[in-house]
Amino acid sequence: MPLSRPLVRAEGVRIRHEGGERFTPDGASLEVRAGEVVLLLGPSGCGKSTFTLALNGLVPHAVPAELEGTVSIGGRPTTELTVAEASATVSMVFQDPDAQIVTGTVLDEVCFGPENLRVPVGEVLARAELALRQVGLWERRQENPDVLSGGGRQRLAIACALALRSPVIVLDEPTANLDPVGIDEVYAVLEVLVRQGGHALVLVEHDLDAAIGLVDRIVVLDHRGRPAFDGPAADVLQRHAEDLLALGVWLPTAVIAGLRLRRAGHRVDELPLTPEALTEVLDGLGGREAPGAHTDTDTDTDSARNQRLPAPPRSGEASSSPESRDRTGAAGDRAESPSASGAKGAATASAPATTGAHGAAVRVRGLRVARGGSEILHGIDLEIARGSFVAIVGTNGAGKTTLLQAMAGVVTPPRASVDLLGIDPARADVRTLARTVGFVFQNPEHQFVRHTVADELAHGLELQRAAPDEVRERVDRMLARFGLEEHRDVHPFLLSGGQKRRLSVGTALIAGAPLLALDEPTFGQDRQRSAELLDLLSDLNRAGTTVVVVTHDLQLVADHASHLVVLSDGAVSAHGTVDEVLASGAVEAAGLRRPALVRAVRAAADARWHPVTRLTRLEEVAGAFARQAEGERLARPAEGERLARPDAAGGLPGSDVSDSGVMP
Amino acid sequence: MPVDPYAEAVDHGPVRFLHRLNPLAKVGGPLPAMIVLIVARGIELPVLFCIVTGALILVGAHLTRRAAVGVFVVLPAVVAVLSVSFGLWADPAEAATAGGAASTVLVQIGDYRFTAGALLVGATTALRLAGILLLSLLAGLTSTGPDLVRALVQQLHVPYRVGYTVLAAYRFVPRFRHELDIIRQAHRVRGVAPGRGPLAALRRWLGYVVPLLAGALRHAERVALAMDSRAFGAFGTRTERHLVPFRMRDWLFMAAFWALTAALVLVGAS
Repeated sequence: MPLSRPLVRAEGVRIRHEGGERFTPDGASLEVRAGEVVLLLGPSGCGKSTFTLALNGLVPHAVPAELEGTVSIGGRPTTELTVAEASATVSMVFQDPDAQIVTGTVLDEVCFGPENLRVPVGEVLARAELALRQVGLWERRQENPDVLSGGGRQRLAIACALALRSPVIVLDEPTANLDPVGIDEVYAVLEVLVRQGGHALVLVEHDLDAAIGLVDRIVVLDHRGRPAFDGPAADVLQRHAEDLLALGVWLPTAVIAGLRLRRAGHRVDELPLTPEALTEVLDGLGGREAPGAHTDTDTDTDSARNQRLPAPPRSGEASSSPESRDRTGAAGDRAESPSASGAKGAATASAPATTGAHGAAVRVRGLRVARGGSEILHGIDLEIARGSFVAIVGTNGAGKTTLLQAMAGVVTPPRASVDLLGIDPARADVRTLARTVGFVFQNPEHQFVRHTVADELAHGLELQRAAPDEVRERVDRMLARFGLEEHRDVHPFLLSGGQKRRLSVGTALIAGAPLLALDEPTFGQDRQRSAELLDLLSDLNRAGTTVVVVTHDLQLVADHASHLVVLSDGAVSAHGTVDEVLASGAVEAAGLRRPALVRAVRAAADARWHPVTRLTRLEEVAGAFARQAEGERLARPAEGERLARPDAAGGLPGSDVSDSGVMP
Repeated sequence: MPVDPYAEAVDHGPVRFLHRLNPLAKVGGPLPAMIVLIVARGIELPVLFCIVTGALILVGAHLTRRAAVGVFVVLPAVVAVLSVSFGLWADPAEAATAGGAASTVLVQIGDYRFTAGALLVGATTALRLAGILLLSLLAGLTSTGPDLVRALVQQLHVPYRVGYTVLAAYRFVPRFRHELDIIRQAHRVRGVAPGRGPLAALRRWLGYVVPLLAGALRHAERVALAMDSRAFGAFGTRTERHLVPFRMRDWLFMAAFWALTAALVLVGAS
């Protein structure tokens, strides 16, 4: 097939920021042809974003950085073009929708680019109308962009790119700051653009489940920014999935699920890329099960489903596997008391958390919070069990952050409406509060108050009037625990993003707070940092800390949390264990979308897959199936061996298959 | 509902004529009057200008309820308060020369006498300030930020890079306010400089500077990149969809306002 001339071609691009030490990217190459969707993948710090800035000449024209190699647009090197000239071919959509808006109305915003290019008025308006219609904002053209939702503002940014009439649009993490509804909106628009043809996209995206349906080609950079893979999407993902995991690159949930199935002893010839494909794979596996096995397990899982059990695997084989025992044991301990797993009904509004033997860490009674004259929380009743890992989810404006802040005393709740391990945050002073609950803000920088990392950690202890020796010792221990020893005398603002996040968690914990509250800890962060943080939280939780997070990320919830609270319109619409709530439909009812894995397993024909919400569980259940099949085919041991072969020894690097290491 | 600084200019009919004028005319017309008020001494001119400008606003501007209350209720109240407080500071020597009944004692506390002359001096200062404010409100209440910038670019040939950058920077304000709120919450929770008093407050505020500036610089950088990639500053001019013409009526308004100013000065002097 004859290839058209690439619109943009980058060859051997190396970029070093002014004052930087390394070149990232380091030798990256990329070609974009008309109508093609290229996904740029790589671990954090590999220079993906910097690379995108070079594609329209912002590097080196607007960003002080050294550029080696060539980027050419329509055959002309960007060094000879101005950014304005390049914008005729390449336009950009950035991560933060707020940082891209410069005018006062939606219409003015879209006209801004063409006006700068001195396009005649009539044509400006024609372009603006078409662009706004393409993203569904034409009816709202007179509004101030501030009143649009996050997804709306990002659609506006796409319209602005469209109005420039450039054939290539580069989108750098366009959905990282959006809630699930916003992500869907943006991808609905992108899908139409791609389907109608004419537009080529270059995507840097962490939410591969949303993006994978669009992508034609994948270009992968390794952790030093050197080219690793480049090829058709399915090819790269299916042939190099394990290498990509080893690189720390995120994969679609379905791909990871496929790897898990292989590890559990099933034969998966072609790794599924989308939830739909995963469902097909699961159905294929079900079809191969010995028919005799069905009766038992069906009744077994049916009853489990009716009771909405989070259910550690019922089959003896599964729970006898050491890993699964370990996992479910840990989850069980922190998730629910033995009595709760029995007859717990469907997740219902304000059902008390299963408190277990330890009692509640947080008890909220009739909490009402108003701000700016309107009530945000309408009488919340909630109980959070000590030692649990609770995620609060809901759409934007549902009151999640306000609830978390009121629980932790960041905003003062009405008296006697919150009981925090015996104290009332409405009356407690800062010192008592800091001993009881650590609050981690969305942006760690907001809460840094001292000039070195060590002082930052010592601050909380000094507030408690701890002895200097004790302060020193505990700070040292905390530095070691969070891997910050080398940075003890560095200003907190000079740390990397992941280090800042760890430090903020450390400062929240150092005074010994048994309760940790985090507001959107993964917002705007790439997957690697999210995983790092979530593993840290899981460790803390296993060690006994009660963790409460507000989040948009439902797969994160499914993989890590023990309990789920769904807020909608300032009221609790569901509360229970993660599996209960995900099974109850409350998540969809609140306007959110179930995680990709849950969507895939629920669509499977074999009901035994339906209760699965975590990748580790998928593997357990799959493992049980495989062993069962094996047991029934004892007469043919060779077959069983063949099935079981592509297991962990098949090359999954151990560290990358940890609970969240592969969390999609 | 906060005022939207970017709202489209709305036409409120021929009576509310101020909305139909070029913002520059509404600034240029009252400018000499403002200078007059700065240098004027007696109370006559401030009173005259307050009355005339107040009447112009009442007729020529479409006021929201809030703006109307501000101009016609709050402002007079503030003038009254300021008259008394400026009066307290008035130089007794100056107060004594202020007019016929200047030495009439209004209030006496111990040795201190608050005279009618002192009140007159205070009222003069208060009314001069009020007059300048009202004059600036002629444009302030009836034009939009973007229109003023457009007029500056189109008529005064201010480079559009400057004008539109100022306009874009205006967007930062609500964002920074929000960010400052969060930083204050975070610092309070972490127990930074607790306690009352100006010293603790100063230490608290100093603590907000670094995170606020760090956020501001990053935001500004991002906005700049976004503007660059949309060809901002590519040429010396850009397409103007909204023309803000300077018409005959704008010249007439300016000339009339200047004439009025001269007339009032003459009346005040006689």
